[in-house]
Amino acid sequence: MAKVGVYVCHCGSNIAGVIDVSAVRDFAESLPDVVIARKDLFMCSDSGQEMVKQDVRDGLVDRVVVAACTPRTHEPIFRAAIEKAGLNKYLFEMANIRDQASWVHGNDHEGATEKAKLAVASAVGKARYLHPLHDKFVDVTNAALVIGAGIGGISAALELANMGHKTYLVEKEPSIGGIMAQLDKTFPTNDCSACILTPMMVQAFNHPNIETLAYSEVADVDGYIGNFNVKVRQKQTYVDWKKCTGCGDCADKCPSKTPDLFNGGLSDRRAAYIMFPQAVPKKAVVDIEHCINCAGRTIGTQPKINEKTGKAILAPCERACRAGAIDRSLPLDPGGTIKEIKVGSIVVATGYQVMDKGWFKEMAPASPNVITALQLERLISATGPTGGKLLRPSDNEKPHTMTFVSCVGSRDVNFHTHCSRFCCMYMIKQARLLKEKYPDLVINMHFIDVRSAGKGYDEYYTGAREMGINFFKGKVGGLEMLPGDQLRVLAYDMEAGQSIEYNSDLVILATAVELPPDATSLAQKLGLQFCGNDFFRELHPKLGPVETAVAGLFIAGCCQGPKDIPDTVSQAKGAAAAAAVPLAQGRVKIEATISEIDSQKCSGCGICEPLCPYHAISMRDYTDRARGVIERHAVIEMSSCKGCGVCTSACPSAAIKLHGYEDEQIYAQIAALTA
Amino acid sequence: MIIDQKKIDETIKIIKANGGHGIQKCVQCGACSAICPGVKAGFPLLCRALIKDLLNGQLEENIENSSSWGCQACNRCTEVCPQGVRPQEVVFAFRRYQANELAFSTSSVTSQMNLYETGHAVFTDPKEARRKVGLPEETPTSAFNEAAQQEIRTLMDNSPMGELGLF
Repeated sequence: MAKVGVYVCHCGSNIAGVIDVSAVRDFAESLPDVVIARKDLFMCSDSGQEMVKQDVRDGLVDRVVVAACTPRTHEPIFRAAIEKAGLNKYLFEMANIRDQASWVHGNDHEGATEKAKLAVASAVGKARYLHPLHDKFVDVTNAALVIGAGIGGISAALELANMGHKTYLVEKEPSIGGIMAQLDKTFPTNDCSACILTPMMVQAFNHPNIETLAYSEVADVDGYIGNFNVKVRQKQTYVDWKKCTGCGDCADKCPSKTPDLFNGGLSDRRAAYIMFPQAVPKKAVVDIEHCINCAGRTIGTQPKINEKTGKAILAPCERACRAGAIDRSLPLDPGGTIKEIKVGSIVVATGYQVMDKGWFKEMAPASPNVITALQLERLISATGPTGGKLLRPSDNEKPHTMTFVSCVGSRDVNFHTHCSRFCCMYMIKQARLLKEKYPDLVINMHFIDVRSAGKGYDEYYTGAREMGINFFKGKVGGLEMLPGDQLRVLAYDMEAGQSIEYNSDLVILATAVELPPDATSLAQKLGLQFCGNDFFRELHPKLGPVETAVAGLFIAGCCQGPKDIPDTVSQAKGAAAAAAVPLAQGRVKIEATISEIDSQKCSGCGICEPLCPYHAISMRDYTDRARGVIERHAVIEMSSCKGCGVCTSACPSAAIKLHGYEDEQIYAQIAALTA
Repeated sequence: MIIDQKKIDETIKIIKANGGHGIQKCVQCGACSAICPGVKAGFPLLCRALIKDLLNGQLEENIENSSSWGCQACNRCTEVCPQGVRPQEVVFAFRRYQANELAFSTSSVTSQMNLYETGHAVFTDPKEARRKVGLPEETPTSAFNEAAQQEIRTLMDNSPMGELGLF
């Protein structure tokens, strides 16, 4: 016979303001096996918990039911309390009479009280059949993976590496650095982006605990917290990086041109190229899609022989390379090489992209003088296509009047409803830098409103006004192309209540921040979820900002939502700290409330396997020596199982038991609710 | 409205030269207009609205606008302004510009004349009211002091106001 103790919480007026707590307590006392029913103003307070503990210590109760708020936040507290008093922590059940009764039936006191009684009866019914369960532990691989090597990924990797954990840093581009490497200067201090980023890149690349896998992508992930198996595809560079010195001679000699995406397509690069001057690693790659196979040197073929000299006829890139790093006779390998690594935790910091101007037909995307703000970064950067001179793309003339347009694709139900958060600040930064350099330049900025939340940000903004930069409240409605490569700006000044028009030489669009298209396939590989259509979903919007629904998988930076550099670095360090927890512990706890398969009952039908949302179930063959047959059974990897119960309810042989939610427990709940 | 940087620069220069030094600090929050008695009384181009037009270079366009003369100089705008614009100084700078261009509102001409003649911008004969409450009929101010009035006229004749040729 179970000895159930029921403890009903007032939760101040949260519960007692609607529910007759005394009536619920009286009712609980009448339930079978209930030996004690008490109530308290705040059950989660020290005194409330002490009351439960004392009853356990006195041997009065051996099953505990707390009728209070949500188990999501409070179950761990009460479980810990009864465990401390000497009771197995799984001999506990919670009835949520706050969220499910008092809060939702605030105008029906009687009904809410009756519903609370039912919830208590159900919890008591289940509690009578609870039995002790025990947490399990698995060992952890002491290594971490950071996906994406922008400022977020680099910060996370350095943090993990400095804590002593082996860290793999995977970057899809030939160089680490991410979008921050494309920026000219950074708000609100105007320090040079490359000057503060490059040392971080070098530090990460040279760190003894960091293995940088540039020009690589995550191909496949399986496993679970503590023990992930990751396949990384290292793309073929067509240049032997062990020999490449980063001199750039191959790029100088390569005749094939393609738009340089690092410069936002404002200039060309060669098919053989080094991503940017401060690239880390500073290594060349041959972009095989744009390689024109000079001298008939298709990759993987032997060179033709010059009949006169008897020497091999080589491609310009091969000839140019003094280190002998380019050998086009090596086989073509578009799949790249797969490197398998084992890690205990993963940080995803894959960043963002900005929308292309082509989406915005009203913004004259056909004009070369309409560019995105990221393109302007390259236009004003010393390493950019103009060497840092502000020249408009159509004719390389210096513009006299320029226009900044905010919220292009952001805060717009047609594209993205979110605010991209850092556009206001980078536009003000760009305007300030340009006004400092070219005092005669007319700069008109158009905002729905200026969002400058951050330390030193609003001062930076108001300072821009005093510099003579014009601010207009009101979104630009459209741009019209004029002869002479100018644009007619159709805007509105809400503060003056008048429409405004003028001719502009260069228009900057602050296009929305969004996830790049390959984020979707990465999310599928990792089990990441999305917030609506926008960004990767964190575990809890306030209290779990770096965790995800997958244990051991963490997110940081703009892939979680738009944020500026300081916020990205903060979140990356937070994610690294969280990702280090299982590594530092050396083992991870597996909650006991997970599913278990009775192999005697399992028919091997395989229905459960595809249903498992956590990929915890696999089918394995067993040799039954006694009978001389091979049998197929489902196996649950306990460290991946979340205890959702989908497999349990789907199994036609009733072979799967979900601990803590067993049949007799659930039947008892149903019986109590329908009595 | 056409946005012309030359006009903006010229306007800001004139306003600053006339004492409206903080005009470019304005973020158009509207706090000044929220407490402005002139705005409450219905003058359309005071405080935030006037500053916005000036920041857009709309100086000459507003030269005949009499709203600025609705400013009671209470200076509450300066107290509430979160950016240190000192809106009243901007309004007064605009008034000075208007005055220099002889663009007075008729209401303000009357005040100037009152000031010149009595030493009070707003003057009504107080004798009857004062008699009723038992005070001496004449106030101890320039209104009833010929010598003081003469001093004020001398000052005004020799100030930039005298150059306007109103008196």
